This record gives sequence, C-alpha cells and structure tokens, in this order.
Amino acid sequence: MTFENTILTLVMFVPLLGALLVALYGRSADGNTDGIKKLAIGISVVTFILSLPLAVLFDGRTAGYQFVARALWIDAAGLRVDYHVGIDGLSIWLVMLTTLITPIALLASYTAIGKRVREYLVLMLILETGMIGVFCALDMFLFYLFWEVMLIPMYLIIGVWGGERRIYAAIKFVLYTMIGSLLMLAAIISLYLMHGKATGFYTFDIPLVTQSISSGMLMIPIDAQRWLFGAFALAFLIKVPLFPFHTWLPDAHVEAPTAGSVILASVLLKMGTYGLMRFNVPMFYEASIQLAPIICVFAVFGIVYGALVAMVQPDFKKLVAYSSVSHLGFCVLGIFSLTSQGMQGSLFQMLAHGLSTGALFLIIGMIYERRHTRQISEFGGLATPMPQFSTLFMITMFASVGLPLLCGFVGEILVLIGTFTSTTLEGAKWFAAVAATAMVWSAVYMLWLYQRVVMGDVTNPENAKLPDLNLREKVVLVPLVVLMIVMGVYPVYFTKRSQPALDAAIQKTAPVLTRKAEAPARKP
Amino acid sequence: MDKYVNYITILPEAILSLVAFVLMLVDAYTSGQKRRLYAWISLGGFIAAGAAIGWIAVLLATNATAVPASTYMGMLVSDPFRLAFSTIALVVSTLTALAAVAWLDEDSLPAGEFYSLLMFATVGMLLMASAGDLVMIFLGLEILSIATYVLAGYRRRDLRSNEAGLKYYILGSFATAFLLYGMALTYGATRSTNLEAIRVAITSGKVDWSWLLLVGGGMMLVGLCFKISAAPFHVWTPDVYEGAPSVVTGWMSTGPKAAAFAAFLKIYIAVFAVGAPIMGLAGATQKALTIIAITTMIVGNTIAMVQDNVKRMLAYSSIAHAGYALVGVIANDWRSVAFYMLCYGVMNVGAFAVVAAIGKRYDRETMVEDYRGLAWDSPVLSLTFAIFMFSLAGFPMTAGFMGKFLVFKGAWEKGLSMLVIFAVLNSAISVYYYFRPIMTMYFSASADGDRKRTVLGAAAVAALAISVAGVFYLGMLPDGVLKFFALSSK
Repeated sequence: MTFENTILTLVMFVPLLGALLVALYGRSADGNTDGIKKLAIGISVVTFILSLPLAVLFDGRTAGYQFVARALWIDAAGLRVDYHVGIDGLSIWLVMLTTLITPIALLASYTAIGKRVREYLVLMLILETGMIGVFCALDMFLFYLFWEVMLIPMYLIIGVWGGERRIYAAIKFVLYTMIGSLLMLAAIISLYLMHGKATGFYTFDIPLVTQSISSGMLMIPIDAQRWLFGAFALAFLIKVPLFPFHTWLPDAHVEAPTAGSVILASVLLKMGTYGLMRFNVPMFYEASIQLAPIICVFAVFGIVYGALVAMVQPDFKKLVAYSSVSHLGFCVLGIFSLTSQGMQGSLFQMLAHGLSTGALFLIIGMIYERRHTRQISEFGGLATPMPQFSTLFMITMFASVGLPLLCGFVGEILVLIGTFTSTTLEGAKWFAAVAATAMVWSAVYMLWLYQRVVMGDVTNPENAKLPDLNLREKVVLVPLVVLMIVMGVYPVYFTKRSQPALDAAIQKTAPVLTRKAEAPARKP
Repeated sequence: MDKYVNYITILPEAILSLVAFVLMLVDAYTSGQKRRLYAWISLGGFIAAGAAIGWIAVLLATNATAVPASTYMGMLVSDPFRLAFSTIALVVSTLTALAAVAWLDEDSLPAGEFYSLLMFATVGMLLMASAGDLVMIFLGLEILSIATYVLAGYRRRDLRSNEAGLKYYILGSFATAFLLYGMALTYGATRSTNLEAIRVAITSGKVDWSWLLLVGGGMMLVGLCFKISAAPFHVWTPDVYEGAPSVVTGWMSTGPKAAAFAAFLKIYIAVFAVGAPIMGLAGATQKALTIIAITTMIVGNTIAMVQDNVKRMLAYSSIAHAGYALVGVIANDWRSVAFYMLCYGVMNVGAFAVVAAIGKRYDRETMVEDYRGLAWDSPVLSLTFAIFMFSLAGFPMTAGFMGKFLVFKGAWEKGLSMLVIFAVLNSAISVYYYFRPIMTMYFSASADGDRKRTVLGAAAVAALAISVAGVFYLGMLPDGVLKFFALSSK
C-alpha cells in the first residue's frame, strides 16, 4: 500500500463513493437541491485534485505502465481475472481529460437540470468511475466490465433528462454499442483461450498478452488475427463512431442534456480510438497493416462526409455532432497510418476534440438555456448583447477549425504528416490529400456558423437583451479555453510524455514492464 | 455401510418429504389460515435440507466411506453434479417460499397446500439431481411435474390460472409419455436403465438394436426439450407462464427448468455424448441440438420483443435463456450449465417476485404500460427490477453476465465458436426488450398522481434482498460457488 499503487484506485472509486454519499444525503424539506449539487461538484473536484499527481509524477521517459495496482480477483474453474489497473502515455491524458470534464459538466448543468436532480448527480458520478475505469483497466475482463457498465448511466441520462426523441435515441445508443461490444467479448474469450493454450498461463492481462504476442510466445495465425481484429475493431469503430456506424451519434447528441453531450463528445467517443490503440494495433499488428486501407477509406470518407453534412444542418447541436464524425475520422486515420506521428497526432486530436467540442456543447447549452431553441436561424448578432460569450466562442471555434497556435491544429497536422509518410499504408498520399481538404471544410462550416450566430446585426428582437455570461458559466468555459491555447502553444509537454508508449505500440517491440508488483508466476 | 442402503444419502429428500407431511397435518389440525406458521415450517424444511446437502458435501470431500458415490443399486448418485443441482433447487424454492407469503395473503389463497406442494416438488427436483438411473429420473420428474401442474392452476377461481394448469398438464403428460417411451426403447437397446451401464454399453458397442437406441434417444430428446421449453417444443410456455400466478411462474421457469436441465445433462452424458459410432448418434444429436439451440434463442428473443405483457415477455425470455444454457449442454460442460441455472434462478425468481408485487391481486397489472413512471413512485422496487433486467440482459458485474460468460467460454473452448457468436448476437438483441420496462419505469412521468407506493411485506423484502445480493455475489465473486461445483469426490 504505497502512494504509487493506491492513487489510481482512489481516483477511480472516489466518484463511486461520492455517488453513494449523494444518494444518501438528507432530503431538504423545501425541495432545495443546492446541497447535493454542491456535494456532487465537490466530489468531482476532489477527484480532479487527486488525479493531478498522476500527471505531475508521470514519468514520460518510459513506455511502461505506472501507478500500477494489481490483485487477484477471480480464480476458479479455469477462469482467472485480476484487478489490474495502471496508466501509460496513452491513457494518462485521457484520464486527466475525464477528471477535468466531469466537474465542468456538472457545474454546467447546475441550473439546466430541474427534475430528479439527485438521480442525475448519482448517475454522473457513476459514469465518471466507469470512464476512468475503461482507461485504467489493464485486464481485458475488467476493461469489458467498465466498458459495458458505463452504458447504463449514459443510457439513463439520455433517456430521463433528454429531449423529445430521447427514448429512441437512448435505446439506439445502447443497441449499437451492445452489438459491437458483445462480439468483442467473444474475441476476448478467444484471445484468453489462445494465450492459455500457447503459454500455459490463462490470463486476461493486457500487458502480458501484448508482451506474449510481441515476443512471439503467442503466434496468432493471420486468419485468426483478422477475425479478432474485426471483432475488436467493430466494437471500437461503432463507439468512435466511424462512418457508416455513426448514425447513433447525432441522435444521442441532439437528445442528450448538455452535460450528457459534453461527456459523450469529450470522453465516451475517445474510448473507441483508445481501444484501437490499446488492443488492435499492438496485438494484431499484421492484421492492422492488412486491413488499414479499408478502415482508412471509411475514415477519409467520414471526414469529408461529416464535414459536408455538418455544413447544411439547421440545428446547432446536430452541426457539432456531425463535426465530431469528421474530427474522429482524423483520429482513426492517424492510428492506421501506423506511424509515430500519426499515432501521436491521433492522440492529440482526441484531447483537442475533447476540449473544443466539449466547449462547443457547453456553449450550445448556454444559449439554449437563454432562448430554448437550437435553430441557428433564430440567432444572429449575439456579439452585441454577449461580447464575452462571443470571444470565448470564437477561440473555441478556431480551436475546432484547427487554427495554428490552438490545440486543433497540432493534432490534424501530425495526423496528416503521419499519413503522408506512412510506409505500411497503401495509397497513403491519397488518403492524406483527401483528408487535408477537411481543414477547408471545417473552416467553412464553423466560420459560417459563427457568422450566422454571432456577427451582424441583431435580427431577432428576442436576442437583443440576452444577458452575457455569469460567473458560473465563465468558470465552466475559461479553463477549457485556456487549455486550448496552452495545448496549441506548447504541445510538446503533452506529446513527449505519451511518445514512448505510442512508439512501443507500433514498433512491435515488447513494452517495458516497469511495474513494481511482480508479474504473476507463469504456471507450468 | 453397504452400497444398497445409506441413510445419509437420502437425508435431504427425506427431511423435505417429512416436513411436508408434517405441514399437511398442521394445516389440517389448525383452524383458519395460519399462513405465517406454514411459511416458517417450510422455510425450516428447506434450510434443514440445505444443511443436509452441506453435510454430504463435507463428507464427500473428507470421508469417502460415509457417502458412497452410488447407493441403492445405482439409483442415487452422490457427486458434485448432485450437490450443484440440489443447491439450485433449494435456493430457488426457498426464495419462492419467501416471495409467496405476500401473494397468498393478497389473493387469500390456502397456504398449507401451497407450501407442501412446493416442498414435494423440490423433493422431485432433488431426486432428479441425484438420479443414477432412468427410472429414478422419471420418478423425480413425475413427483415434480404433478406438483407443478397443481401449482400452475393454484388460483382456482381465476380462468387464466385454470387454463395454465390444464394446458401444462395435458401437454406435459404428452411430453412425459415421449420421454418414457424413449427410456423404454433405450432400455431395450442397452439392457439396462442404469445410466452408467448404458454409457458403458454404448461405449463398448454392446447395443442390441442400434436403431432402437436411435429412436429411443430421439424420443427422449423430444421429451426433454419440452421440459426445458426449447423451440419448437416451447409453445406451451408463454400461455402457462402468463396464466400461472407470478410467484409460481418465477419458480417454474427456474426450479423445474434447472431440474430438467439436470436430467438432460445426465442423459446427454450417458447416451448422446458418448463417442462410440453407433449410427452416428453423437454427431446427429449434436447437430440436432445445435439447430434447436439456435432456433430457441431466435424464437425466444424475437418474439419477446413484441410482447406488451411483462409476464409473457419474461416467458419468451425464459425460452431464450434455455437456448443459452443448451449451448453449455452441447459443449458437454455441466458445471457451466449448473452455474448458469443458479444465476438464472436467482435473477428470474427475483424478477417475478417484483412482477407479483406490482401486479397486485390476481396479477391485474402486468402490462408494460402499468409500469409507467413507477420509478418515481416506488424507487427502490423499480431499481430492484432494473437490476434484474440488467442481469437478464447480461450486463457485467451481474449474475447473468457471469453465467453467460462461463457457458460461452466453455463452448468456445470446445470449438463451438459459430454457436457462441450466434448466442452473443442474440443476447445483444435481448437488450431491447429487457430495457423496455426500464424505459417505461424511468423515462415517463408517473401515470396518475394518486398511485401509492407499492409496499412490500418483510418476507418479500427478504426474498428480493437475497436475490439482489445473489445477483451481485454471483456476478462479482463467483469463486466460492465455482469451487463448490468443482468439488471433487474422492
């Protein structure tokens, strides 16, 4: 029980304990919910503070897992599951993103959620535990557990607090994810048995299985690799979502309450790309090379398609939802370029998209609370009544477009360089060329959006007297905007810490296992 | 002790029968309905029988001579298989006894007969779990079935319940006849009714008329598939499950079904899984069962999607679950099937206990619509129901997931990967209908303002608490139970 091996577990489970506290917190007589709201926000802030040491103490020179905790969980009847958590360069920033976004989302929904406040807060905190768990789990069984369990709070958040077509959107979200993830479960079982037969040690342990594969102890024939790759990839690509599996996303986004959309865009979508990087590329490297062109065709198509569809959306939220399809296409393209820059760009784009799109959904929430509409045509000239809002919106919008010195640029340019220089991807230059046009497309739909909403004269008299941002809204938006600038100006701080882990994934070299706890003895 | 008579071996069955008789006498000699008293007596019986099972388990592990593996000329077999399925039967029946207290009060039905029938039925299940002989399997099945027919029609003044009882009786007798005829033919072919002797005869090829075995095997298969409600022998299930009182349905869909799976597995291991090339029996059965399993899953899951009655929906879900468990039978992996039936038992009895509580007198409110906004009137009860639905759908950390996981893993290990993929896709579909009641409970506002919170009695609360705890215990810490099932008899 050292600080090193307890801190991560603490970060994971403090929100869950907090959820229990919120559930049991006394009901106030007059129906006042300020108390539990503050309690829930306090818990998520504590979680964020607890997660800061992870980033500060993280050793960026090694590809190994850090802050590892491990304990035997189930060991009976040929089934062995470990509670095994840890983070490496791939997951550290995603964990930080999660702990940062949750308090912001909670604060953003301070006034927007009017009914069933307690249930809402409990679900949000459970969701946070689930999200952190997905990024930290180093055991496939544990990973699957968090992956699935996280669906339930999100399903309920969309279903109970969502818009008009919430029931349809909620069930669609669940069904899409379930079909993919259950096939992934079959692949996990298969991998478990393969590893057991080849090495005599049955385990779901991700580092161990990856190491066995890369060291040649576990040789998976290419046919089997393709199947396994396909099963994992389907689950992750639905979650990303890659064209043509993206149709659940606009529905879920439009119907979800603001905080739900923020979490969905910032964190949940990243689980798909994270999974591709954690499982598909290092474990099925040959299959990745073989199947990369097919996936990249869909990724590039999605990039352009998402941008074009976003352009014509009359609904603000739907526009941002489709822009996500486009941005996430970049992430997938970067991963399957199988180059150092591509992977790095993809990871950076994931973080940048998390910040900028999260902020965009917050912005939508803010004007929705004022006007109760999301139709772009209803707005115009918001710069006059809401100057502070318009400034923050502008920076966010430019970050999303990919203006240099803001976070979006770094990710996109790295992905493009990575794709262009890829030696494993056939027709890499064509993919890069088409994807590059998206930088133009995104400028078109974002700038046009900004122009219609913020600039010009106030055409609709209802907009003339809208109040500018209050303190709570500033507290919500400013940290994100500051981070967008920091990430754009000094990206090296982030990239150099994740580089070793990403290189290990694509070089097919054994990741160095630096964990303090002993690897379990291989049974004879 | 000799190998013919051993009193420890039949202790659980003896205790239960004895207590059931005592209960009938108490019922006859007390005036009025002492429902609490009867419930306590039967609970005591179940717990004593459970203790006896535990004692046998300890003896099996430590003292080989006290409990011989085979007693009464091979009629009863004491092995981990018996312990596993006896445990399931006792757990399910105990939970049912607890859940029934409130229901019998609500419908003002006689309780003495109910509990004694429940106990006799459990004796039948225990005998099926320990049977080492076709005759014993049949005997256990009859003891179980006759009690079940009565329980299904237990609401004498309710037409639907009468219909359920009668339908189950007629169709069940018909299926039992198939099973019995198949047993007779198998006896003709192998010259023995003892399962072990049959297995040896088939393995060594000492079968007189192999076509007789083939026909007999086929007929037994039909009878067994009826009992586990596998498609296309499932048509009775929805009507009977819908008509029978909810508490009884919860029990019928788990206890007798688990016992039927025990019989199925015993016969499968002795007759069908034997590798000997007798007219391709093993291969043919495996093919037939694969088709039956896939059909069962598809029929159960697709028809469940369009049901508006929660009981009927759960009936089709029960058919689908039989399909998942069949995957374990085909893989010849009795431990995972037993674990699956235990998981299914805990969550389904719980789910039906909630349905009974919400349905109120004579199960009037069992439509999905009746659950509208329930989460905001009865939050704890709704959460409990949601947990059972998540578990039935197979979400991780619940019993339903662990059960499916072990069955699928076992089957994948045996190379049945296509069957597993089919099963996996089917359980993805099932999410749709398990989420429907959750949607109505949570996603819509309360139907009318004057609906009161559903209040449960202490017994029902205990039943639900045990079920919920069981769902999480089996789902998160399955070690203990798995080790118990894997207990080796020395």
